[in-house]
Amino acid sequence: MQSSIFHGIKLVFRKEFLAGMRCKAAWAAIFMFALTTLSCVSLALQGAVLEPKLQAALFWMVLFFSSMTGMDRCFAEEEMSGTFLPLRLYGAAQAVLFGKMLYSFFLLLVLALFISILFFILLDVGSVSLPEFLAVALAGVLGLSGAGTFLAALTTGAGVKSGLFSVLMLPVILPVFLPAIFLTGRVFGGDSMPFSHLGGMLLYDLLLMVGGSVLFDYFWYEE
Amino acid sequence: MMTISFDSVGLSFGAQRLFDSLHATLPSGQITVVTGQNGSGKSTFLQLAAKFIAPDTGKVVAAEDGSILQKDAFRSRLAMVTPEWNLYARLTAEENLRFFLGLRGMELSAEEIRVLWERVELKWEDTRIPLAGKLSTGMRQRVKLAVLLAVEADVWILDEPCANLDASGWEIVLRAARQAASEGRLILWATNDPREEAAADAVIHLPWN
Amino acid sequence: MKYLSYLIPMLTVLTCYLVFAVVPPAEGLGELVRIAFFHIPLAWLSVLAFLMSAWWSAAYLRSGSMRQDALSACSAKLGFFAVLLATVSGAMFSKLTWGSYWNWDPRQTTIFVLILIYGAYLTLRAALPNPRKRARTSAVYSLFSCLTVPFLVFIIPRLYFSLHPTPVLNGDGHVDMEPVMLATLLLALLDATLVYVWLLFHAVAKEDPHEP
Repeated sequence: MQSSIFHGIKLVFRKEFLAGMRCKAAWAAIFMFALTTLSCVSLALQGAVLEPKLQAALFWMVLFFSSMTGMDRCFAEEEMSGTFLPLRLYGAAQAVLFGKMLYSFFLLLVLALFISILFFILLDVGSVSLPEFLAVALAGVLGLSGAGTFLAALTTGAGVKSGLFSVLMLPVILPVFLPAIFLTGRVFGGDSMPFSHLGGMLLYDLLLMVGGSVLFDYFWYEE
Repeated sequence: MMTISFDSVGLSFGAQRLFDSLHATLPSGQITVVTGQNGSGKSTFLQLAAKFIAPDTGKVVAAEDGSILQKDAFRSRLAMVTPEWNLYARLTAEENLRFFLGLRGMELSAEEIRVLWERVELKWEDTRIPLAGKLSTGMRQRVKLAVLLAVEADVWILDEPCANLDASGWEIVLRAARQAASEGRLILWATNDPREEAAADAVIHLPWN
Repeated sequence: MKYLSYLIPMLTVLTCYLVFAVVPPAEGLGELVRIAFFHIPLAWLSVLAFLMSAWWSAAYLRSGSMRQDALSACSAKLGFFAVLLATVSGAMFSKLTWGSYWNWDPRQTTIFVLILIYGAYLTLRAALPNPRKRARTSAVYSLFSCLTVPFLVFIIPRLYFSLHPTPVLNGDGHVDMEPVMLATLLLALLDATLVYVWLLFHAVAKEDPHEP
């Protein structure tokens, strides 16, 4: 049973990856969105120097909204193209959830890398401790993809879709978002990072995934 | 021996009462055909039988040898072909087939897959080169049939499975359903075609009221 | 239920009398302290309604009874009103005593997250046309949003500095309030809870006349 779930997760991830690679437009839209918001911020600032705290807030806001444009598709597309029914029929709940979560994580990781590089160049972030920055970014992306995949599934069947996903997402992701901004601010400011906060973030990430996993069965096998 | 039984099932959509105290027992080992005009609730009947939707009143129970099957256990024994479901347009036919089979924990050898494509009369190169989105509607229907045949489910739920198929495709479906019924599977088939109705062991006419 | 219909108006009148006529102006806060007797019960209601909504969501997922779903939805609607009123009364109190409407104090943050959750839950319900799908999906969301509770209770107070007075009941069990104020507050809390219960069951009974 254990191995069959891992097998299922691998299958779903591979399917997402193949279909994703063959749809350049989806990737282009996400990255162009990130680029557009970032350049908006940069242009509006006209080279003004920001406090580390503000830089951190901007960084996470760009990442949050860019990831929203990418993740809300992950179940909506299945629903639109008529593949949601066979997926529900043949796929076990946990395999589908974690397979898609893994793909979202991968997508957001690439996106975060892209945004970070641009952000460091455009907003002239001072020298930062890279391992600490990466640790915070990873913990944030983990929470975003964990909660995002689960909540994207809940928006299937909704009459109004645009915006609904972000509305559902924000309150649940705040516990990741706020510490992430706080910690990134410290890293940008060259201060030491309190590891208890990072631990708290990771703990909450874990909580989101376990909670999502338990509740997803109720959603997936609904009548 | 598997059965799906409808026990005084009632269901409405808004103000429209579709079913009222509907009773039916669908046994395995035979083809049960559901007929009725458009809008009489054929597809809804199938969705109830598949336990994708729940009735407002009464219940739908799937049981095997007298013991009730839970939702997830029942779903893993079920295969469907309906007009609402599509293949992944950005995967090839073979990638689609392998994906759905894999989700059920099944893997076929290249030879077994070749035999399967022959059974549904699809050319091997059509299943590997073009993406499924580029195939014709009839060809996609054949790929769906191949998935149905390959998963070896105990319950088949078919909603107009011959739609978009030519005469040879029609023969394939009928032959496969007959054979599956003789192997003891439960076949539920919605159609308005009198020729398909003639092949049935039992017929349910809708509307129920 | 019938007794409640008589009890609630009497209790409300009594509470109002105590708040406006009996409770003395507090040291440092003056007459403004009277706002607290509305603000605290409303804040209490918004948390209570949130937890009860989640409780009925779990009950719905177990039983599939649409009555549980109606209770959960109704509780969320009442909670949404309570949280809005609590926020407004809190902001007024804050402006009059500390000089600004909003300063992201931990409890303001908590209540703000509650507003967002209630808003998201009710938006989700409005967006789902199929009643059963709506019931199940919103129940799942309601329970999922409960995962934020440990964060609201344990993490936020560490991240932000607070202006709020320490809780009435301190960690060491010592009650830090005049007896007459405490009695009035407890009475106001009881009254608010009863109003919540009455409104809830009244609304659900109206929605579904077949249920007892």
